[in-house]
Amino acid sequence: MTEAPTPSDSNANRTTETMSLPSALEQGAARLRGWLGIPIAVLLVVYAYIVVQAPIDNVQGVIQKILYVHPPLAYGTYLGFIVTAVGGALYLWTEREDFDRMAIAGCEVGVIFCTLMLITGPIWAKGTWGKWWSWDPRLTVTVLLWFIYLAYMLLRSFSEGGTRTARFAAIYGIVGLVLIPLNYYIIEIFNNRSIHPDNLSSGSLGDGMGLPFLMGNLALFFVFAYLVLLRWEVESLRTRAALEEAEQFSAQYSGSGGTS
Amino acid sequence: MNYLIAAYAVTIVALVVYGVSLFRERNSLSK
Repeated sequence: MTEAPTPSDSNANRTTETMSLPSALEQGAARLRGWLGIPIAVLLVVYAYIVVQAPIDNVQGVIQKILYVHPPLAYGTYLGFIVTAVGGALYLWTEREDFDRMAIAGCEVGVIFCTLMLITGPIWAKGTWGKWWSWDPRLTVTVLLWFIYLAYMLLRSFSEGGTRTARFAAIYGIVGLVLIPLNYYIIEIFNNRSIHPDNLSSGSLGDGMGLPFLMGNLALFFVFAYLVLLRWEVESLRTRAALEEAEQFSAQYSGSGGTS
Repeated sequence: MNYLIAAYAVTIVALVVYGVSLFRERNSLSK
């Protein structure tokens, strides 16, 4: 007698009923995403116009305009990993798998934003410092942050899935959150010995630079939210597809008498 | 100027490619 076939996708190990996917919360998230499309398109056009029109910095020149995309990507990174931790905490608390899927979505989009932050930063550095990279405290902690969340994604991709993995990932995501305040305040911690520019504070931007900076943050925040909601929906659909596949395997196995 | 264009181009292309790939997967899974 042989064992029943094991579905290839680890999500099939979950106990969630196929019929309940996506959950009510995920359906609400998908509806919210639908409403965001047009406002984001308008926001991006306004953002592009304002960045083009923004004044050119006297010291750095035109390359200073990377400021309108690089810090917003950093804030998106932080938000992504906060979503991972919040989703993980809610999963541990309620054991609802839709929160676990939310955590996965937040992490993936956070890693995308972090990768882009690690690309746009060196481009600015090359134009300003004359070199692509420096093992400065801020940059080093950012690379560490990237690796920590990349490891989270690898854990989710290569593990067997199921409750144990979800619990471990939730705890990992919550602990990893410690790096966010460390990353933000590392310049102050090192008594401003970092060559990375200081965190922005009130009045630190030049005349006419506040609005493009605000628009950059607003536009990329909405893009971030849109991508997280879309990724969450995809994760839910993936889980449903895996469960349907598992049910088909099960039905096929039962139909054949269970032996070979 | 080239560095500025490179930074924005990489960001836009990456986010668009990622978003489109998610949409394609969503549409294929929704069928």
